[in-house]
Amino acid sequence: MEKVIIRLVLIVAFFFATYTALKEVDWLTLFNVEHLTSKSEEKLGELFWEYYSQNEHEIKDTIITIPIDSILATICKANNINKDNLKLHVISSDEINAFALPNKHLIINLGLLKAVENQDELCGVICHELAHIEKNHVSQKLIKEIGLSILISNTIGNSSPEIINNAVMLLSSTAYDRKHEKEADLQAIDYMLNANVDPAPFASFLRNSFGSDYQFSEHLSWISTHPDANDRADYIFANIENSTRSFNKILAAVTWDNLKLRIVKE
Amino acid sequence: MILVQDFEYKPGEHEAEKASGSYLMSLVALVGGLPFPIINLFATLGFFMANRKGTHFVRWHCTQALLSQFSLLFINSFGFWWTISIIFSSEQITNNYIAYIITIIIFNLTEFVATIYTAIKTGKGQHVSWWLYGDVTNLICKP
Repeated sequence: MEKVIIRLVLIVAFFFATYTALKEVDWLTLFNVEHLTSKSEEKLGELFWEYYSQNEHEIKDTIITIPIDSILATICKANNINKDNLKLHVISSDEINAFALPNKHLIINLGLLKAVENQDELCGVICHELAHIEKNHVSQKLIKEIGLSILISNTIGNSSPEIINNAVMLLSSTAYDRKHEKEADLQAIDYMLNANVDPAPFASFLRNSFGSDYQFSEHLSWISTHPDANDRADYIFANIENSTRSFNKILAAVTWDNLKLRIVKE
Repeated sequence: MILVQDFEYKPGEHEAEKASGSYLMSLVALVGGLPFPIINLFATLGFFMANRKGTHFVRWHCTQALLSQFSLLFINSFGFWWTISIIFSSEQITNNYIAYIITIIIFNLTEFVATIYTAIKTGKGQHVSWWLYGDVTNLICKP
C-alpha cells in the first residue's frame, strides 16, 4: 500500500512539475497568438476617445472637475492604483451614464452627477467603472464582441469609422456580462471600504433609481443597461451588512454643495 | 514503467483476446471521445462490467485499463472545461492554458502508446503491468 501511495504522489508531482515548467515558456509569442498588447490598447483608447470627443462637449470647469478628480485620487491612493494612467473626462450629456474606454479613459456624464444625491453614490459608480478598468474588462468585452483581428487592424492604420462607432456605442451603452458586472460591483465595495467610504448609498442608488420614475427614462443608461439593479443592490448590501465601522466623506460638504450648484447651472 | 511479467497461470488464447480488447476499447473510445473525456471512461467501464465475471487475467487487465482511463478523466475534464470557457465566455488564451494543454497532450500520448503496446502484448498472452496502475490493480483485483 505504501508503495502505491509513494508512486501516486510521484506521478502527481511529475504532472505538476511538467505543467509548472511549461508555464515558464512564453507560448503566446512562440505560437504568435494575437492578443491585445498594452500598446494596441493605448492606440485604441486614443482612437476611440478622439472619435467620441468630436461629438460630445467635455466640461473643463474646475469647480466640477477638481472635486471628481479628488474623489478618484483618494480611491486610487487607498487602493494602490496608479492614478497617473487614468484619464478622467466629464461630459455635458444629460444621459445618466458613466463608462470606460480602452487605455483607462473614464467618462462621467453630467446627467449622472445630477442624478446622484450624495458623494458616496458617485464614489460607488466611479469605483465600479474603475474596477472594470483595473480588471481589464474593457479589452475583454471588445475582443469578445468585435473580434481581436478587427481591433488590431484598427490600431495599424486601417481604422474604420463604422467599427469605431460600434465599439464606442458598445462600451458606452451596453453592460458587461453578468459575471464581470458582479465582479466590478464587489471590487467597487472593496475599493470604497479601503478608502473609508460607505458603500450602502451606492446600493441604495441602484435600488432607488431602478424603482423610481427614472426606471423608464431614456436617460438612465447606466442602470437600465446593467443587470437587475435590485439584485445588485441585494448582494452589495449582503457584502456590507456586517460592517459597523464609521466612514468618512472624501469631499468637504461645501465642495460637494458647490459642485451640485454648478451642475444645475450647466 | 511498463513491466512484462509472468501471470500466475498461462492464459488461454480466448482470455488473451478479451484482455487485449479492454485496452483496444479504451483506444477506440479515446479517438471517438476526444472532445468529451467522459466517453472514454464510460466505454472502458462498459467493457469492465461486461467482463467482471471473466477469468482473473481478463478482469485484471480490464481493471488496469479502467484505472488508466479514470486518472485521465480528471486532467482531460479540466482541460475540456477550460477550453469551453475560452470559447463561450470572456476567458482568454494564456500561457498557462497552452502549458496545461501541452501537459495533458504529453500524458495522453504516453497513455496512448502504452495502451497500444499493452494491447499487443496481452493479445499474445503476456502479462503487462504498468507502473502504479499495476500495483493498484493488484490491490483491487483478487483471484
